[in-house]
Amino acid sequence: MGSALENYVNQVRTLSAAGSYRELADELPESLSLLVRNWSILDNVLETLDMQQHTLGVLYVLLGKLHSAATANPEPMQIIELMREFVQRSNLDQLRYAVCPFYETCHLFTDFLVQHNLSILGIKVLSLAIDQIRQMETQLTPIHADLCQLSLKAKNFNLILPYLDTDITDISTVAAECKNQQQQQPQHTLDANNDAKYFLLYYYYGGMIYTAIKNYERALYFFEVCITTPAMAMSHIMLEAYKKFLMVSLIVEGKIAYIPKNTQVIGRFMKPLASHYHDLVNVYGNSSSEELRIIILKYSEAFTRDNNMGLAKQVATSLYKRNIQRLTKTFLTLSLSDVASRVQLPSAAEAERYILNMIKSGEIFASINQKDGMVLFKDDPEQYNLPDMFLNVQTNITQVLDLVKQINKMEEEIILNPMYVKKSLGSQDDDLASQHPKTYSGDPTD
Amino acid sequence: MPVLPMPPLMQNAVEPMQVDAPPNEDNENNEEQQIVVENPTIDLEVYANQYTGIARLDRLIYVADVCPVLAVEALKMAITYVQSTYNVKVYQMLHKRLSDLQAASGAAGAAAVGGDQAAAAAAAAAAAAALPDIAAQPAAVAAQANASSAGGEKDAFAYDAVWVDAKLKKAALKLEKLDSDLKNYKSNSIKESIRRGHDDLADHYLSCGDLTNALKCYSRARDYCTSGKHVVNMCLNVIKVSIYLKNWAHVMSYISKAESTPDYSEGSKEANAQVHTRLECAAGLAELQQKKYKVAAKHFLAANFDHCDFPEMISTSNVAVYGGLCALATFDRQELKRLVIASTSFKLFLELEPQLRDIIFKFYESKYASCLTLLDEIRDNLLIDMYIAPHVSLLYTKIRNRALIQYFSPYMSADMHKMATAFNSTVGDLENEVMQLILDGQIQARIDSHNKILYAKEADQRNSTFERALLMGKQYQRHTRMLILRAAMLKNHIHVKSVSRESGSNHGAELCVSAGSSTTAQLARI
Repeated sequence: MGSALENYVNQVRTLSAAGSYRELADELPESLSLLVRNWSILDNVLETLDMQQHTLGVLYVLLGKLHSAATANPEPMQIIELMREFVQRSNLDQLRYAVCPFYETCHLFTDFLVQHNLSILGIKVLSLAIDQIRQMETQLTPIHADLCQLSLKAKNFNLILPYLDTDITDISTVAAECKNQQQQQPQHTLDANNDAKYFLLYYYYGGMIYTAIKNYERALYFFEVCITTPAMAMSHIMLEAYKKFLMVSLIVEGKIAYIPKNTQVIGRFMKPLASHYHDLVNVYGNSSSEELRIIILKYSEAFTRDNNMGLAKQVATSLYKRNIQRLTKTFLTLSLSDVASRVQLPSAAEAERYILNMIKSGEIFASINQKDGMVLFKDDPEQYNLPDMFLNVQTNITQVLDLVKQINKMEEEIILNPMYVKKSLGSQDDDLASQHPKTYSGDPTD
Repeated sequence: MPVLPMPPLMQNAVEPMQVDAPPNEDNENNEEQQIVVENPTIDLEVYANQYTGIARLDRLIYVADVCPVLAVEALKMAITYVQSTYNVKVYQMLHKRLSDLQAASGAAGAAAVGGDQAAAAAAAAAAAAALPDIAAQPAAVAAQANASSAGGEKDAFAYDAVWVDAKLKKAALKLEKLDSDLKNYKSNSIKESIRRGHDDLADHYLSCGDLTNALKCYSRARDYCTSGKHVVNMCLNVIKVSIYLKNWAHVMSYISKAESTPDYSEGSKEANAQVHTRLECAAGLAELQQKKYKVAAKHFLAANFDHCDFPEMISTSNVAVYGGLCALATFDRQELKRLVIASTSFKLFLELEPQLRDIIFKFYESKYASCLTLLDEIRDNLLIDMYIAPHVSLLYTKIRNRALIQYFSPYMSADMHKMATAFNSTVGDLENEVMQLILDGQIQARIDSHNKILYAKEADQRNSTFERALLMGKQYQRHTRMLILRAAMLKNHIHVKSVSRESGSNHGAELCVSAGSSTTAQLARI
C-alpha cells in the first residue's frame, strides 16, 4: 500500500519538476481510487507535496479526502483550513490543466460543509476559488452555484452579491473544459446534464437570494433566466423556479410577467404542476385582498410543502400596497378608515402602518394628518430637473451604449468566424448552383 | 311566482326547429344570464302587431321567457298566430309551455299561497283583458284551481289534434307539389322558373318553421339568378333567414354580397332605397349582436324612414331604439348633434319613440338626472326585446359613464354633492363610479374625499416622458442582458435533456434533492 502511495508522490514530483503538467493531469485520475482507499494516510502524502509546486498532486489528494469524507469522518476545521490554503497558494498554471477535478472538489467541499452546518466558513474559500479559476469577471463557473448555496444556508449575502450583480457573458462548463484538454475522464462524462444543473441552480439560488433581500426585480430576472433555459425535459429546478417566478412577478408587476415564447416546457409540463400558483395569480387579478387571503389559506399546505409560504405572505402584503397605490392615483385626501375599508385592511391603525411604511420606502408620496385621521396623497415630487436625475439618466445612457457595444462585438465575432463565413458563402454557392435565386435572401444566421 | 323559463326549455324556445343547426358563432344570447322582467308597461298586442312571421313568434316566445307577468298572454297570442301558418312544431311546443304554465299557476292557486295566487291572478287578468275574444272567460276562473278552469280554457286554447293532423297533411302535400314542380322546371331547364321554384319551396319551409331547409333552398336559388335584381333578392332572403337563425356572420357576408352586386347601385331609386334601408338595418342588427355598438348606430342612422317597412325583420320603432341607444352610448357630443339630433331622416324614427327622443335631448342638454331617470323607466320595456335585452346593461353603463365624463369635462374642480344630485345617486356610490373611471383612464382627475371635491389633474408631459424614457431604457437593458446571456448559454450547450431512468437515475434524484431539500428551508423565512 505504502509503496503505491510512494509511487504516486514520485510520479507527481517527477512530472511536476519536468513541467509536463498535461501528462500529469491525464494520469492522475487513475490514481484517485487508490487515494480514496488509503484515506487514513493521506495527511502523510500531503506533507511530502508542496502546494505551489505540486498543485495537481495536492488537488487529487484533496479530492480523495473529500470523496472519503463519509467513511473517514475527518475534522471539519482541518478540511476547511486545507481548502483555504489550497485556493490561496495553488499554482494557477497547473490548475488550468485540471479544471474539472477542481470543480468537483468544490462541489464535494460544499456538500461537506452543508452536511456539517458550517456553510458560513466556506463562503470566503469558494469566492477565492472563483476568483482563481474564472478567466474573466463575467464568466460563470459551476462553483458559483455552490457559493450561492452556502450563502443561502448561512444567510450571509455580503460576499455573494457582487458576483450576482455581475452580468454573465460567458459560461465555463465541465463539458467544454474536458473537450479543451481532450481528456477522457469517466467520472465527469457521466452526465452532460450536470452543466445545465449547476447553471440552473445558480440562477435559482440567485433568484432566492435576491428575493430574500427584496430586490424583486432582479430576482424576477434570475427566475426568468432559469425557466427560459433551453430544455427538452423539465428539470425540477425549473419547476420550483417557475413557482417562485409566478409569485415574484405578482409582487413586481401585479400580473404574470411576460414570458418569452421559446419555452414550450412551461406550457406543457409546468403549468399543470403549478396550478395552485396560477389560481393565486387569477385571484390576485381581482385585487381583492380578502379573496387572496382565503386562497392562500386554502392552499397553505401546498405552499408550505414547497417552502413558499413566506413568499405567499409577501404576495398578500404586496396586494395591500398595490391597492393603496391605486388609491393615490384616484384620491387627493382620504380618511384612514376609508383606506382601510377600500383595501380591506382590518383597521385604520393597520392602514396607517402600511401607509407610513410606504411613505418611508418612497413607494407613495403622502402625508398623514393624525388630528382628523386623513391621508393627503401627493404627486411624485420628482421634476426631472435636478443634477442627480441628470446623472442617473447619463449613467443609464452609458450602460445602454456599453451593451450596444458588446452586442456589436459579439456580432463581429460571429462574422469573423471562419465556420460562419464558410457556411453563409456555401449556402450562396448552393443557391447559385441549383438556380434558385429567390432563396438567396435566406437568413444567413442559420 | 309561477316557475317559468327553465333553461332547457328556453333553448328550445329560441331555436325550436334546429336539431342539427350549424354551430352558431354568435350564440352569446343563449348564454346570457337569465333576465326576468317584473313590470313592463307595453301593450303586448300593439307590440306583436309590429311584426309578422317568424319574427312575431320569436319575439312573443322571448317575452314569455323573460316576463312571467306577460307569459300566458304572449303564449296565447303566439298560438293564435301560429295557427295561420304551417308551423306545427312551434304550435305543439307552445301548447306544452302553456299547459305547464297553467298547471303551475293552478297548483299555486290551490295551495292558496297569497303572493303566488295574486301573481297568477294578475297574469290571468292581464291575459283576459288584452284578448277580447276570450274576455268572456272570467279572470278569476283562470286563477283558480285548474279543475274548474279547465272547461273554460279548452274552448279557446285547447290542444287541437285535428288541426295538427290536417296541417301536417297539408304541409306534406304542398311540399310534394312544390317539389315536383321544381323537378319539372329543372327538366325543362328554364332558369327563371327554377329560381322561383326554389324560392317557393323555401317560403313553404319557412312557413313550416324549418329554417335550415329554408336557408338551403334560398341559397340554392343563387345558381339560377339571371339579373342583379335577383341576386339582391336572394341575398335579402338569406339575410332574413340568417337573422332568424342568429347567424350574424352569415348576415354580414350576405350584406356585403348584396352591396357588391353591380345592379344594386344602378337600379331605380325608389326600389333601391328600400333595399338599402333593409340592408342597413340588417347590418345594424348584426353589429349590435357582435357588440360593435358604434358601427351598429351608424348603420341604423343610415336607414330611411319612408322605406323602412319589413315587419318580418324589425319594426321602425326598433330601429329608433337600437340606433338611439347605441348612438347615445358611443357618440361624442358633436357626433350626437350632427348625426342624430340634426338628422332629418332619423328624426322621423325618433318621433315614434318620444321617450327615447326626450332621453337623447336631455342628454344633449346635459340634464343627466332626468335623462337617467327616463332611461330607467324604459329599461323594462327594453328587456323584453329579444335583440337589445342582452346589451341593455352594458349600453346603460356606457351611457352613464359618458354622461359622467361629459359632466366633468369643463371643470377644474367639481363638488361631488352637486354631482351626485345631478346623477341621482349618493356621494359614496358616485365616488366608487368615478374611481373606476379614473383607474380606467377615462377621467383625468383625483378625488378629495375629505371635502368631497373632484379635482382635474393636469398631466405633466415632460415628467411622464422622462418616466417613460427611463422605463424604456431599463427594459432595453434587461432584454439585452438576457440576450447576451442566452447567446452564452447556447454557445456552451446549456440544455436540459431528458435522462433515461437506468443510466441517470441517481442524477435525476440529485436534481430533485438539490432543488427541494437542501436549499429551500431558507425560503420560509424570506
